[in-house]
Amino acid sequence: MEKTQTGAKPASRDGDGPANAAPQRPGLPAMLLEIPGVVPALSFAGFVALWWAGAAWNGNSIQLPTPPEVFGALVSLARDGELFTNAGLSLSRLIVSMSIAVLIAVPLGFWMGLSETLRRYVDPTIELLRPISGIAWIPLALFIFGVGGVLPVFIMTYVAFFPLVMNTFAGVRGADPKLVAAARTMGVGRLRITARVVLPSALPTIMVGVRLALAGAWSAIIAAELIGAPTGLGFAIEWYRELLASPKVFAYVGVIAGVGYLADLALQWLQRRLTPWTVGGGLS
Amino acid sequence: MSATAARAAAPARRGARFDPRGLVLPLLALIVWQLWALTLPHDSPAPSPARVIATFIELVRSGDLPSALAMSLGRVIAGFATGLATGVTVGVLMGAFRPVRRVLEPIIESFRPVAPMAILPIAILWFGTGTPAAVSIVGYAAFFPLLVNTVHGVSRVDRKLVQAARTMGVSRPRILAKVVLPAAMPSIMLGARLGMSVAWTAIIAAELAVGSKSGGGNSGGIGSMMFVFYAYSVDLNGIVVCMIVVGVVALLIDQLFRAAEARLLPWRQ
Repeated sequence: MEKTQTGAKPASRDGDGPANAAPQRPGLPAMLLEIPGVVPALSFAGFVALWWAGAAWNGNSIQLPTPPEVFGALVSLARDGELFTNAGLSLSRLIVSMSIAVLIAVPLGFWMGLSETLRRYVDPTIELLRPISGIAWIPLALFIFGVGGVLPVFIMTYVAFFPLVMNTFAGVRGADPKLVAAARTMGVGRLRITARVVLPSALPTIMVGVRLALAGAWSAIIAAELIGAPTGLGFAIEWYRELLASPKVFAYVGVIAGVGYLADLALQWLQRRLTPWTVGGGLS
Repeated sequence: MSATAARAAAPARRGARFDPRGLVLPLLALIVWQLWALTLPHDSPAPSPARVIATFIELVRSGDLPSALAMSLGRVIAGFATGLATGVTVGVLMGAFRPVRRVLEPIIESFRPVAPMAILPIAILWFGTGTPAAVSIVGYAAFFPLLVNTVHGVSRVDRKLVQAARTMGVSRPRILAKVVLPAAMPSIMLGARLGMSVAWTAIIAAELAVGSKSGGGNSGGIGSMMFVFYAYSVDLNGIVVCMIVVGVVALLIDQLFRAAEARLLPWRQ
């Protein structure tokens, strides 16, 4: 199994692009631009201005509401608490299914990494199921679980399972055999080797798997809730679309992005806490 | 935020020796499933392997499945082409020109956590429930992996190569075409493969949701076929057939892109 994190990062601060010429002459405007946060703020301002201009030109607030309308909708949704109810429900479904997926996939991946026999038995089945996207399970799962909270949890657990199992496996396999051999020559028991040598060296890869799983699950929950749940962010967004309450639809799109982003930030923090030695190592 | 990019790397264990042990679990599952189905009353809608195969043959013979598949594939290709054109163009600009990147990056990063499915209601508002809505979802889904990987590839191009070309008086557009793009090609191909697999998932989701949320309008395509099986004809065997077809197509797409990578980038091997 090839390592599961190729092509990872869009490589942020690794020097200039190839065709970048013109060294900047330090004038006052250029110096202002060097203050962190100025450029993002400006580009957001530009984005909002473009959006506003487009909305004004379009003139149809059902198709494209203006920024103040969307902001107003966001405030009113937050004020009557509906926003937090839906976001909380979706988030708790996300946490439940991530926990189930971790509890199943990580031990399985670990075991597959340690036992070649088990891998030979289980791996082809995983590879058979993996191409069937979680989304494609929705109709069948709707049939089995009905419309409700179980469906999104099932779909997300399924989606999260594959990156977790594959990254755990890759991490365990990637453990330096010399370290394991060294521990063994010193008479360390198998269980202790697993816990003290293999686990720490697999942890960074597992954490990458957790983040991939979260991103996949978060994108699947919207589809699952939109089709088969009476609550949650995915449901709310479609509900307001049917009512043609576009400002609320756009507000919820923003909320979905925000919650997904915050969840990833939380995982990045966890990653730094659990595996501080990989920070800046290009693994994230 | 490497999610889309890092989904890369499916195991490349092709060419490994065939091992019969791998068949044990799937066969066991099939047998248990079939036996379980035999215990059910005859008119039960529950799927069984035998009925799934029968349904598959029937659906192929009637032409429903091939035409739905063609519909979905057509939409995926149209959407993917849109995503490819925009993703690579913006990606090259962002990778090659630092100011462009500084300006666009915050906006791109804030759109990235917006799942394609969250865009669906907006797409329906704008384009109705037909093909354009589905294509725009697919394009949106494919855009991000392509963009991120293109930026990554272009910004990693060896600067010495670019400088060498420049000292020899090669013009900028030619440097871009002859030096930068080939060097960034492996990354772009990876982005294309990821983008295509996301696109295929997105089309199923879009068609399913359009089927379920637009008053049952049948917009065609394999996702909406699944929804019809779920909501109207209650044909679980049909649903399972569709799931398997979706999986097989995903696998074939992946293989196709890997083969293309091997052909186009022989120096990578």
